[in-house]
Amino acid sequence: MWQFILKRLLHMIPLLLGVSLLTFLLMALSPGNYFTALQQNPQISPETIARLKAQFHLDKPWYVQYFFWLENILRGNFGYSMAYKIPATSLILSRLWNTFTLSFLAMVIAWVVAIPLGIFAAVKRDSWIDRGSSLIAFIGLSISDIVLALLALWFAAATGWFPIGGAPGPGFGESLMEQFLDYTHHLILPSLVLAASSIAGIMRQMRSNLLDTLRAEYITAARARGLTEGWVIYKHALRNAINPLLTIFGYSLASLLSGAFIIENIMAWPGLGRLTMEAFVAKDSYLVVDCVVMATALLVIGNFIADLLLAWSDPRIRLE
Amino acid sequence: MNLLEIKNLKMDFGKNAEALRAIDDVSFSIGAGETVCLVGESGCGKTVTALSIGKLVPTPPANYVGGEILLNGKDVLKMSSRELREIRGGVVSYVFQEPGASLNPVFRIGNQIKESLKLHRPEKATNEEVIRLLKLVGIPAPESRIKNYPFEMSGGMQQRVMIAMALASEPKLLVADEPTTALDVTIQAQILDLLRDLKQRLGMAILLITHNLGIVGDMADRVAVMYAGQIVELAPAKELLRKPFHPYTKALMNSVPKLRGDADRLSAIPGNVPRIGNFPPGCRFAPRCPIAKPECSKKIPELLEVEPGRFVRCPFWKTNQPVQ
Amino acid sequence: METAKPISIAETKTPLSPWRLFWQRLKRRKIAMTGGIILIFLYLAALFAGFIAPCGYNHLDTDHSFHPPLWPRFQGFHLVVPRSESPGGNFSYQIVPNDTKPLRFFVRGDEYKLFGLIPTSIHLFGTGDEKYPIYLVGADQFGRDVFSRILYGSQISLSIGVVGIILSFALGMIIGGISGYFAGGTDVVIMRLCELVMSIPALYLIISLRNAFPPDMSSSKIYAMIVIILSFIGWAGMARVIRGMALSLREQQFVLAARSLGQSHLRVICRHILPNTFSYVIVAATLSVPYYILGEVVLSFLGVGIQEPQASWGNMLTAAEDVNYLQHYPWLLAPSAAIFVTVLAFNFLGDGLRDAADTKSL
Repeated sequence: MWQFILKRLLHMIPLLLGVSLLTFLLMALSPGNYFTALQQNPQISPETIARLKAQFHLDKPWYVQYFFWLENILRGNFGYSMAYKIPATSLILSRLWNTFTLSFLAMVIAWVVAIPLGIFAAVKRDSWIDRGSSLIAFIGLSISDIVLALLALWFAAATGWFPIGGAPGPGFGESLMEQFLDYTHHLILPSLVLAASSIAGIMRQMRSNLLDTLRAEYITAARARGLTEGWVIYKHALRNAINPLLTIFGYSLASLLSGAFIIENIMAWPGLGRLTMEAFVAKDSYLVVDCVVMATALLVIGNFIADLLLAWSDPRIRLE
Repeated sequence: MNLLEIKNLKMDFGKNAEALRAIDDVSFSIGAGETVCLVGESGCGKTVTALSIGKLVPTPPANYVGGEILLNGKDVLKMSSRELREIRGGVVSYVFQEPGASLNPVFRIGNQIKESLKLHRPEKATNEEVIRLLKLVGIPAPESRIKNYPFEMSGGMQQRVMIAMALASEPKLLVADEPTTALDVTIQAQILDLLRDLKQRLGMAILLITHNLGIVGDMADRVAVMYAGQIVELAPAKELLRKPFHPYTKALMNSVPKLRGDADRLSAIPGNVPRIGNFPPGCRFAPRCPIAKPECSKKIPELLEVEPGRFVRCPFWKTNQPVQ
Repeated sequence: METAKPISIAETKTPLSPWRLFWQRLKRRKIAMTGGIILIFLYLAALFAGFIAPCGYNHLDTDHSFHPPLWPRFQGFHLVVPRSESPGGNFSYQIVPNDTKPLRFFVRGDEYKLFGLIPTSIHLFGTGDEKYPIYLVGADQFGRDVFSRILYGSQISLSIGVVGIILSFALGMIIGGISGYFAGGTDVVIMRLCELVMSIPALYLIISLRNAFPPDMSSSKIYAMIVIILSFIGWAGMARVIRGMALSLREQQFVLAARSLGQSHLRVICRHILPNTFSYVIVAATLSVPYYILGEVVLSFLGVGIQEPQASWGNMLTAAEDVNYLQHYPWLLAPSAAIFVTVLAFNFLGDGLRDAADTKSL
């Protein structure tokens, strides 16, 4: 088991390096950088620009820039954000945390709603609940995140129950509890929107997995031994039906992060996705690379945890 | 009163216009301690008949439209869920064809056997009893085996575990649906020896489903031959093997390759088994039967007792048929 | 025993070819057929967008900014279009009584190019008079007809979906086929590359790729750029799956037979291995088109895709980002209905295709 963990961890490092290299390369292909806009500004002298450029190594070829960037990363230093004029590290970490809370809460909501619905739909197959939730799932799969987010903003404006997007306040003079409540208040609507788009897929998958499992011979054998239907479903079938779900956990995490990107930008939730767009628009190249690598790291670690869960749950994998 | 009596059982898949008859007027019985073999090709309805004994065929899509299944005098088809759960395992136990597929892959086999014990003989739900059962079915070193997962065992071992699980609840009738088809020949022989041994020791009745006539000779007291959802012949095993009456039975026996005598061509029954829903009118075997007459295709022949204990569904059973 | 009995009639029906069988199974699925029909309508509408739309996509009319839907109405047996004006100039409109123009068909209006080739100015319906516009869904802040812009936008969104899929799936099939067939070192390298691309969450990768292109480009270049970006996202997933299929297919005897007949590797891959993946590819393609369409929508919505004044479902939705606008002029969300119907139709069709191809089910 430990070998497995170690192998995977070692695997992640070249992966992240490769991702950073790719992103850097893509960034380098684009003409212009942060200072291109500044050059238009008559108040800033060309000498200042040249000095700043040298300071950020932007006057050197891209592979040299990459080397400096890498060096900084390994020292835990994400560099300096040219647009925000503050060290990028704290900026990135706080945004990363916000994306994490958003994604995590959305994931919890989605799974808590989708799994029982999926089980119910499979057990009461072809009932009106099954057909109804199938229809809602179809509709849910077809509505874009963008539209849901816009509708959520409309809802917030119309009812006034939730803030219309935006970040929780700076929290000066507020108690920890008040800050926490304010944070959560801002977090609820975005996570509901993000969860909504995942629920459909997970529910259908759970239903299909459980139906497949219920067709297995060991289920008939279990019934043949006189076990109650409830015991057969919840102890025997479910335990097996969950495993394939853990494998799609990885995919759902990827789509969650992409969805979070959109929702953060529309609903102004201060997460990694929003930061990426801001950096992109400002042509703050290093920041873009930092963000992309962080998001990738989040995804890769999430996948790793999913694989661990799967190995723990399925003895066939654990003991191979 | 027999342990099991199936009387005129009729079962469809689907309803009304789309109904396909899978079991058509099937009747036979099994006495206590008796071994009956149910023989037939794939698709003839033997598995669903066997599963019906424990009412294990999901309804829908199945639909019992006639007849009764009397287990110890009570009709299974009319039992409540609670009564069904009592007879499943308690009176009738099953062993299925694919040993690996019948065991839940994520639970240890010891726990799976104990589950059965907890349900039917809770005072004996102990590791010692599990070990005793594993020894009974001939698994070496059972103490270490109870912690195994199914995939850690060979096919033959898995089948023995299945049998142990079936025996845990001390059933009166063991239904074995092609228990050896998925196993190697040598393991087949071992499992059959085991079943025979258990039959003698425990006095259990066995319903053995197979398409292999060799097994019939080995194990059966009586034989029922099924074709296209119907019983076409019912007889004591020795008599059937010595002198089959129904043309289908004769054809089956002829198609078993012989090691002695002239080996010319393998004889096969021409044509194909009719698929459910595509049954020909009248006698279902008529299109492939070497002695078929025009009136055979007009009306389904009755299953008649033509000699004491011998039933045939063919009015021309006495005809001499071309024999290899 | 001599076998002289003829085979009965029931056994002599000609078996159906796999394609005919598939089509039969598909026809039985009403939902899938509905999806297919909806898609046919949508694509036809996109093809004839200029003709069906009452106005050009950039027909400004600041006298009618944010105008609510304005439909023709019955006057006796004729359909007429009333005039509307805003007395206070604050985006609230009133119908001017007794001032109408009749609705006509095949009427002359804004110039456009049918199929992008034939210049013409005939539209399906309209009044022929600029002062009497028809707003089936409403007008945006520049007085442009939202319905017309949705139609023009559909040309972009619907075509990008299909072109993107074809490109990325072709790439994915070839790369995956090569990787799985040759196995060994090639396979390892290609799969590592796939893994790299797939580890980056889609939208972050999209923005990184967008980064590689200059911020200002001509609209046709932008179109090509979007296609390239979306293909880059999609090929890896397809390559992975095809590679798995190729790995198992290459062990099959027909591959050995083909090789023993002297067929080259390329021929084996193209003629033997890849065709066996078609049933999966077709289903996957249909189910993936929505993601490509949504990809373009997101890019345009974020401002880095199709630019104004071109109409795209994505960039039309940016107007709805202002909650004030949204509350007062909800028709600004209309493009989302178009997106929804399109994606739903593709999902219906894809689901049906998948069921029809899975011969183990009913």
